[in-house]
Amino acid sequence: MDGGRAPPAGSAFGRSRRVVTVRVPGLLADQAGGRKEFDVEAADVRGALEALPVRDLLFDERGELRPLVNVYVDREDIRSGDGIETALSGDETIRVVAAIAGG
Amino acid sequence: MAPAILVGTRKGLFVLRGDENRRKWTVDEPMLAGWEVFHATEHDGTLYAAANNFVYGATVQRSTDGGRTWERSEGLGLPEETELTLEKTWHVEPGQGDTLWLGAAPGALFHSDDRGESWEPVMSLIQHPTRERWNPGAGGMCTHSIQVHPTDPKTIYIGISAAGVFRSDDGGETWAPKNKGTAADFNEDDRFPELGQCVHKVLLHPEQEGRLWQQNHCGVYRTDDKGENWERLEDNGLPSSFGFPIAINHLKPDMAFVIPEDSVRGSEGEVGGGDRVTTGGRLGVYRTEDGGRSWELASNGLPDPAWVEVLREGMSSDRRDPVGIYFGTKSGSVFVSTDEGDEWMEAARHLPAVLSVEAAEW
Repeated sequence: MDGGRAPPAGSAFGRSRRVVTVRVPGLLADQAGGRKEFDVEAADVRGALEALPVRDLLFDERGELRPLVNVYVDREDIRSGDGIETALSGDETIRVVAAIAGG
Repeated sequence: MAPAILVGTRKGLFVLRGDENRRKWTVDEPMLAGWEVFHATEHDGTLYAAANNFVYGATVQRSTDGGRTWERSEGLGLPEETELTLEKTWHVEPGQGDTLWLGAAPGALFHSDDRGESWEPVMSLIQHPTRERWNPGAGGMCTHSIQVHPTDPKTIYIGISAAGVFRSDDGGETWAPKNKGTAADFNEDDRFPELGQCVHKVLLHPEQEGRLWQQNHCGVYRTDDKGENWERLEDNGLPSSFGFPIAINHLKPDMAFVIPEDSVRGSEGEVGGGDRVTTGGRLGVYRTEDGGRSWELASNGLPDPAWVEVLREGMSSDRRDPVGIYFGTKSGSVFVSTDEGDEWMEAARHLPAVLSVEAAEW
């Protein structure tokens, strides 16, 4: 087990909670006091993102992931898995990437 | 305190700092990089910005240290029972004391009584019984104008595109449409409906009781009875009835400034909004000194020819004597006049597209 990381705990949904790393792009890092990387405990992608101090920028007030926020788990787009409910086994790296659009 | 201009752009917030004569201006490094600043204002030493990002949504950013650090309003949103979600934040308007109002889309209003630390949705407006008759304008269904009576803060006016003007006499508990006399030329079945007008900007004169000015999609208007009746004004001297911003002179209630857009007026009843660039290929500010009965071009120092756009939040006036008038263009220039529009100077150029201009003291 990594030093300093909390041990996995059971979630309300029966999934084990794992420690994963979440990396966010510059604007989100600015909004998080300059931090670009977070180690969080979560059983799935939603839990990992909801643990961030910028959760309100990732989700709307209904809890829906904003449509232009792309999320990758170990380089795999969560849309090819179970989306925001994609389960985590631990030690994955989650990358949040803003869609490239606009001007 | 020195004069300043808060310039909201597509790429953050710029502060222009002026000398005491408002003749020399410097541009600070941008703040709020990555955010579109639809409007920014200063109140009791705190900066507020209606900030939007096309990926991460809408919020209000607040700074209590002159813009060095900013704090985002988290949890800003619309309740589930409204079946609406927040689209954009548009305008922050200070009320009395610690009170603030926030206009947003779709057709939303928020209230804060703790200097913007928290915001409560104003359900009386969001669930207004006429809401099903509101329609979004090209910029969304935005609550863009909020005017609070300077001595009676229970009297509040708002403008929503395209729902019209509403007035509350009880601090926001109830709202009544106030659009009598304003046209909805795009509505062939009823050109003067109770509501649904495409109001572009509404300003309350701070000194003359009951007087408001309005630039509408379909005309320029003035009311002298708190919005009970509006008089259409643009027949004498304005080249187009269409435009977005309007500015007033706090010292002279009969003076106002508009920047007409669109083609030169054609047939009666023509609905404007086709071109959305300044009329006649020039950047023309038009001034009235007689309450809108007549208008004259007041554009010395402004570029000609020019085909530019000035948005609804893109013009402002200060509270100095003589008044300062300010506006910014989508092509990134900010212009200033300190002699009631007789002469204009360019205070900044090559900024990102200007979304809003607000006079401030720094």
